[in-house]
Amino acid sequence: MSQLSRDDVLKLASLARLSLGDDEVEQYQKELSSILAYVEQLSTVDTEGLAPTNQVTGLTNVMRDDQVQSYGYEPRDLLNNVPMTEKNQLKVKRMIG
Amino acid sequence: MIGQDIRSAYTATIGIECHVQLKTQTKLFSGANNDAREAAPNTLVNHIDFGLPGALPVLNQAAVALACKAALALNTEPQRFSKFDRKHYFYPDLPMGYQITQFDEPIILGGYIDIAVDGETKRIGITRAHLEADAGKSTHPAGANYSLVDLNRAGTPLLEIVSEPVMHSAAEAKAYAHELYLRMRYADVSEANLYYGNMRFDVNVSVSKTNELGTRTETKNLNSFRSIERAVEYEIARQIELLEQGDPIVQETRGWDDNALKTFSQRSKEDAHDYRYMPDPDIPPVLLSDEYVAEIAANMNELPDDFRAKFANIGLDAQTTEDVLADPQIARLVGLVYDDAGAEHAKRVAFWTMQPHSNDSQGNSQLQSENGVKPKEVDEASQVKNLIALSKMVSANQLSSTAAKEVLADMLQSGDAPQSIAEAKNLLQVSDEGAIRAIVQAVLAANPRAVDDVRAGEMKAIGFLVGQVMKESRGKANPALATDLIKQELSL
Repeated sequence: MSQLSRDDVLKLASLARLSLGDDEVEQYQKELSSILAYVEQLSTVDTEGLAPTNQVTGLTNVMRDDQVQSYGYEPRDLLNNVPMTEKNQLKVKRMIG
Repeated sequence: MIGQDIRSAYTATIGIECHVQLKTQTKLFSGANNDAREAAPNTLVNHIDFGLPGALPVLNQAAVALACKAALALNTEPQRFSKFDRKHYFYPDLPMGYQITQFDEPIILGGYIDIAVDGETKRIGITRAHLEADAGKSTHPAGANYSLVDLNRAGTPLLEIVSEPVMHSAAEAKAYAHELYLRMRYADVSEANLYYGNMRFDVNVSVSKTNELGTRTETKNLNSFRSIERAVEYEIARQIELLEQGDPIVQETRGWDDNALKTFSQRSKEDAHDYRYMPDPDIPPVLLSDEYVAEIAANMNELPDDFRAKFANIGLDAQTTEDVLADPQIARLVGLVYDDAGAEHAKRVAFWTMQPHSNDSQGNSQLQSENGVKPKEVDEASQVKNLIALSKMVSANQLSSTAAKEVLADMLQSGDAPQSIAEAKNLLQVSDEGAIRAIVQAVLAANPRAVDDVRAGEMKAIGFLVGQVMKESRGKANPALATDLIKQELSL
């Protein structure tokens, strides 16, 4: 992976819902490219025959019983952290026309 | 409209994705109650469903068990190894900014179901099925410049079942959806209530004149078999019409308007989604042992095919079989009557339960309606015992078939034994020779012309006389006995 293009950065920004100024695009082109180059060192390791690492914990089958749990607060208390509500619902920018 | 000849030059290809809501008490990754049907907004939520920073989702073992049942109902076994991944996209009903789903190692790979269309059986392959969390529900108040989000449904466990693209007609698509529905219901994987959206279907349709597949569209969120059939029908016709005009098919997501009976464009796939899947570090992989899978297999309910085989032994025709299958509770009763008392009684019970189905205008009868006769939820064993006893009373000429239906309705409501109901309602057939002979003599005396006709060899008139005896006895005379006695009295 060489230098990230301007379009690469703009695409990433749009996927992350960020709007970048021209100078920022240039800045991230450089910074992200150097991060990628650093990580890319890993590709020099021979991984032939190794299963991909999906998890680093080594745990499997961490599950809970199917029982309703109370977490020590009223569910609607969660709405106190929401910027805008109406009728106990989260109020957001209109999604469809 | 395009002509049949043009149309037949094209082959349609259809694949179906179905989201099945699993029948769990709690959500896939949190201990919030999963029954959001009647709950007030944002009452069945917690910090995990809200995707608050630091919240740790923990997998619900019941969802895994139900996915295993689903695998068996799809004629395969669950994968011994599966894992969860994050699928990233921004949408206000997805608080975490990603959906926890299974990307490259789903819990089900392969499997199939057989469908019957026009008497032909066809095998439809299953590509895969994976567990994933549902999103919240949004509403868009009229005239407002905002939307409202209720996260009660966020985190509800879904199993997304993806078929191979091997269906070629609307009828096949409908049959596949219906068979999938029956299997999920019989395996007890889902409440499978289509009204509440427990099963939602997305149909992928393309048409082509060659061996190469055409550009496909995806019509999303169909929730009745009729709408699946109509949407596929509509898409096939729409696409052929476009191609015949020389216009291209746009690969896009479409919706279905159930009033206008049309599909409509929702969003094009040009901004092809880049979901940036990655293994979810919060959810360790799931490893299933052979013992675990064997135990689930040992406790599986009987599936529709098991009942079909049984009902074929009983001698039910294909249509009656499917009618009985529409209600798992009734299918079980008929099956149990067969196991305990044999084909004669099972067949009679099956036909008793086949009162006319209530058909709603959407044609959803097979999904949502109940049979005319609805057994009480209580005590299956005594229902079976009563049904057998009732059927035996008919075989023994103790009840006419009309009287039996009357007893049946009462019996299923009250749970009382048929003998006592029949006695209380005074419906038992009279096989007491003396009593019937008295009626016969009275009838013969009152109908000299019919008697003359019979004597003159007009045997049809016997039927009339028997009818009079039945009438005089208020339906309780045993018709066979009455006929014999008439013949005796007339020395025939």
